[in-house]
Amino acid sequence: MSNLAIRWPANQAELPKAAFHREDLFQREIERIFLGPEWHPVAHRAELPKPGDFKTFRLGTAPIIAIHGEDGKIRVFFNSCTHRGTQLQTQARGHAKEVECPYHRWLFNTCGDLLAAPGSESFPESFRKQDYNLRELRSSDYYGVIFVTASPAAPALEDYLGELKPLFAKVLGDSRLTLLGYQKVMFSSNWKEYNDNEGYHAPLLHRAFRLLKWQAGKGTQRATEYGHVGLDAELQSVPNSDFLNDPSLVQCRDGTAPKSVIIALFPLATVLKHIDVINIRLVIPHSVDETEVHYAYFAHQDDDSAMLRHRLRQSSNLLGPSGFVSLEDGAVFNRIHQGSMTPGNVRYQKGIGAPIAPPCIVGQNDESANPLRWEYYRKVMEIERERL
Amino acid sequence: MNGSNVPAAVDALQSRYISSLDRRDFDAWLGCFDEQGSYICISRENEEQSLPLAIMMDDSRERLKDRVSYITQVWAGTFEDYWTRHFVQRLECTPNGADSYLVVSNFTVFYTSARGGSEILVAGCYADQVIVGADGTAKFRAKKAVLDTTTTPRYLVYPV
Repeated sequence: MSNLAIRWPANQAELPKAAFHREDLFQREIERIFLGPEWHPVAHRAELPKPGDFKTFRLGTAPIIAIHGEDGKIRVFFNSCTHRGTQLQTQARGHAKEVECPYHRWLFNTCGDLLAAPGSESFPESFRKQDYNLRELRSSDYYGVIFVTASPAAPALEDYLGELKPLFAKVLGDSRLTLLGYQKVMFSSNWKEYNDNEGYHAPLLHRAFRLLKWQAGKGTQRATEYGHVGLDAELQSVPNSDFLNDPSLVQCRDGTAPKSVIIALFPLATVLKHIDVINIRLVIPHSVDETEVHYAYFAHQDDDSAMLRHRLRQSSNLLGPSGFVSLEDGAVFNRIHQGSMTPGNVRYQKGIGAPIAPPCIVGQNDESANPLRWEYYRKVMEIERERL
Repeated sequence: MNGSNVPAAVDALQSRYISSLDRRDFDAWLGCFDEQGSYICISRENEEQSLPLAIMMDDSRERLKDRVSYITQVWAGTFEDYWTRHFVQRLECTPNGADSYLVVSNFTVFYTSARGGSEILVAGCYADQVIVGADGTAKFRAKKAVLDTTTTPRYLVYPV
């Protein structure tokens, strides 16, 4: 593949702002990252618990569908008829015994097998039904999170998750979850602005922490060789909950110490637990300047009615696109997108020292993991740096 | 109050409500709810699938007051501001016990950003419980905004 004509600075802590706006980069991201050898979460099992349940999503811009088969296995397919390419299911979520394409009534079962194609007696002799089963993506699950890849070259999922594997149990417990629902929003930003967040901004941008005099406790931020970043931090209980008339919004009631555990996967998905909120954020990169985020929230199957109610009330108001401690993030994604239509490079500062390489631990409130994720991106994209 | 005046009292409440939001007078917004009042903003997608998660769940007086603090003290100065215009159309007003009425209305909210363009922010319907007192003043006991707009075109700062 020819090199893209983008000037990528020699200094690893620098990034060209043009990376957020170039159409040619976006096209290559779809090929190299979203349809390339990376693993992408598309659902948690709890979103499609019964045989026949399905959920549609996008892999990059390509429509996909996860179906809980009658045989109990969840498979992920391109959401496209193998005949003429018609999108098969248009609902976000649902239940169906079979999948029928409306155009020529080709019929598939929940395992993706083509059952019938009307008029097949006049198809060419070479037509074999088994060649037209739904096109299945390679999938694998970890703690109930279903990952897919369009590429046979992706490493084994557990190798890909690497040092962040222990965090999944901290977020998802034994993975027996129930779905509470979704919040969905469009950001007027590039997907890479959305995923470029870090620990430096948290106590500064989000005034809620200051008003509550709420400091993060001890924690670590870990960067992996596949561009993932994991945060595992204790949270102090809130010393000044007087600010809130309803302090249950920031109270931990699941019997453990309050924590913030964030698994920020390359390229885009986040699996996190903050106090009692269990949240998976999945992202559709529509274009260089449109990014759609689905926040799915979960409870645990063993929650009693009071705990379920608490999780629901905390999940609805705390961490989403209109959340008490998170709304400002969206504002920043959009504002970076506008502001980065200016010439020059971004230069990360907080915690930047001598060059480091993943896997490694970085400061909890530093932005030194960001250049490491960008370095992984640059290599996957085959973009060369300028020489010093 | 005289039943024939109820629709007028309900409409006056809806007008006060949308006017307070469009003027960003959040004390006036709070004043549209009675002491047991609640406000829920939820997507139709969740509602239809019996998924209880909301976009805003202010199910007590305390949370309604906190909503005002989020807007005026916590988020102020960070978000990209927008100006709203709410349009509401009452469809049903049904008695539901003493002084209580179930009111269903359609709504559309336009928003105008600092960049100057105006677009639709959300469309949906309100399912409200309104208490009309003997003196003819009406307040929300429960207000639920159900958004047809599953993916909002921007993050919502203000209640709908």
